[in-house]
Amino acid sequence: MTTPVLEIRNLHARIEDREILKGVNLIIPPGEVHAIMGRNGSGKSTLSYVLAGKEDYEITEGEVLLNGKNIFEMGADERAAAGLFLAFQYPIEIPGVATMTFLKAALNAQRKARGEDELKTPEFMRLVKEAGAQLNVDSDMLRRPLNVGFSGGEKKRAEIMQMALLKPSLAVLDETDSGLDIDALQVVSKGVNSLRDGQRSMLVITHYQRLLNHIVPDVVHVFSDGRIVESGDKSLALKLEAEGYANYGGEAA
Amino acid sequence: MVRPNFPVRLGAAEEALINQLKFAGADQAAERITVAGLPTRRVESYHYTDLKTLLRAVPPMAQPANQVDVPALDLPGSYNLTIVNGVASQQGTAPAGVTVGTVRGGVLTTRDDTLIHINNGLVREAMSLDIAPGVDQIIQIARRIEGVAAHVADALKIFVADGATATIVETFTGSDAAHVGNHATYLALGKDAVVTHVTVDLSGRDTSHFATNEYHLADGAKLRTLIIHAGSDLARTHLYPRMAGQGAHADVTGLNLVSEGQHADITMETNHAVPNTSSQPLFKSITRGRSKAVVQGKLVVARDAQKTDAKFMHQGLMLSDDAEILSKPELEIYADDVVCGHGSTCGKLDEDSLFYLLSRGIPKAEAETMLVRGFIAELVDPIENEALAEALNGIIDTWLLAGK
Repeated sequence: MTTPVLEIRNLHARIEDREILKGVNLIIPPGEVHAIMGRNGSGKSTLSYVLAGKEDYEITEGEVLLNGKNIFEMGADERAAAGLFLAFQYPIEIPGVATMTFLKAALNAQRKARGEDELKTPEFMRLVKEAGAQLNVDSDMLRRPLNVGFSGGEKKRAEIMQMALLKPSLAVLDETDSGLDIDALQVVSKGVNSLRDGQRSMLVITHYQRLLNHIVPDVVHVFSDGRIVESGDKSLALKLEAEGYANYGGEAA
Repeated sequence: MVRPNFPVRLGAAEEALINQLKFAGADQAAERITVAGLPTRRVESYHYTDLKTLLRAVPPMAQPANQVDVPALDLPGSYNLTIVNGVASQQGTAPAGVTVGTVRGGVLTTRDDTLIHINNGLVREAMSLDIAPGVDQIIQIARRIEGVAAHVADALKIFVADGATATIVETFTGSDAAHVGNHATYLALGKDAVVTHVTVDLSGRDTSHFATNEYHLADGAKLRTLIIHAGSDLARTHLYPRMAGQGAHADVTGLNLVSEGQHADITMETNHAVPNTSSQPLFKSITRGRSKAVVQGKLVVARDAQKTDAKFMHQGLMLSDDAEILSKPELEIYADDVVCGHGSTCGKLDEDSLFYLLSRGIPKAEAETMLVRGFIAELVDPIENEALAEALNGIIDTWLLAGK
């Protein structure tokens, strides 16, 4: 059996005294796109932060393997170099750091961590241009400080562009559709779909079924009160859209 | 002068200063110190920088030293001047449009400030620079204190002619000894002159560095200053920009970089003397270890100076829990139709920003450096000369790396 790209076993996590993840189990084989749907506050975003390595959370139980390796032994930067990418729901604005400088630092840091040579500037520029073209990320955006003054759509396009450049084996998309109008949603979805190559896996976290019309998942999971409560094919998303999350207990959002 | 009822107890530093001032014939300045001593925290403008406590010894006046004619910053094509142990010299022929000379006596306007009295009292001859329009080269003045521990008071008087453009860089360096440097720069900008003035303290840690920069801006003159403290254990720079002509504008900026045991202070008083002038004082302090950074900024707007637009800002970044960043904005406004403001912020590196960079694979140390450079970018980016901006970033990087 091939090693799953992501394997989550009985994951429990809390922030301060509040337990948020209460036994998550999930396996994503190579090349598959899984969606996690759930109401606000169910712990979806926490799962994405715990995977990416945000330090605010305490892991109390369970383990997570990325391509067979325990990620809790790695820092956030090491997880990225090992192939994990989180597309943020709210990408952070960083004044004073030029987008281009940031991209080069990220790409070369990952290459260095994997024992590859750093990219020369012309080669880097070519890759950025390629990745940017499809997502309408132009040179003007690249010259600006990272995410500063970007519109909601520009920020999400820039996230997916980073993903295209960094070529992760697992991309976690946290509410990538939030704040996007229909046109921007199409551009972003097209960018994401072009990165589906039969090997790269994705975990698409979303509140609405809308995104899944554009990024069609292989498996849909329903997330409620800190764990996955039901899994199915894409028709599950349509059922949720029609019936809401009320059948899964807890309070209405 | 009113004598206090009880004479102050004078320490070794004060005794030395009094003798040096008397020897130089500056009896008044000597008398002031005899009566009041060095300023303590009870003196408003020295509240956060108690000189009596911080300056325990003043070494003998400097003797002329052998010169090492290497400029502190590698700026291709710059015209380099040196003032070593108070003795000025020029290297090579001055470029067309630059006249180097000397003027007698001190250069600073008399104010109620002990360090200024000392400088004016001790300086017998100042270097003078006249800059005409058409000078492209950076003018770099290396002010150094060499040899055994010494007290140096030196001065520089610069006139930038109407319509001229100039980039002037001053560096403060020297041998690694317990020097006391008291430096003065008077910089006058003619009508529509455009000047960038950068000063960098890179003295050894045992040195106490004091500097006073006075600026006079005529009609339409544009000034950008960047004061960097990145060397001595005790540093204080006074800035006195005076908007004396309509349309004058000053971007007064500065950066305190302090590590364990260091104390750096930038104290500014901007004077808007006529209508329609503006200034944008922006200071940043970065602290680590047990250290202290001080920025005091006072905006004075004269009664006639309507339509003044001035905003003081100080932003602090604390890289340790043990440091102190002190901020004192003051407004003294006599006109009634002005836009003036002040602001101060202080905090640590933003955790969310750091996580974002980490999540992209950038290792922690590199991510922190990127964020700190990003914090400072607002000060360095406006410096138009690329070689100079690069040299300044190099100084900042060196400081950052030294803390790793």
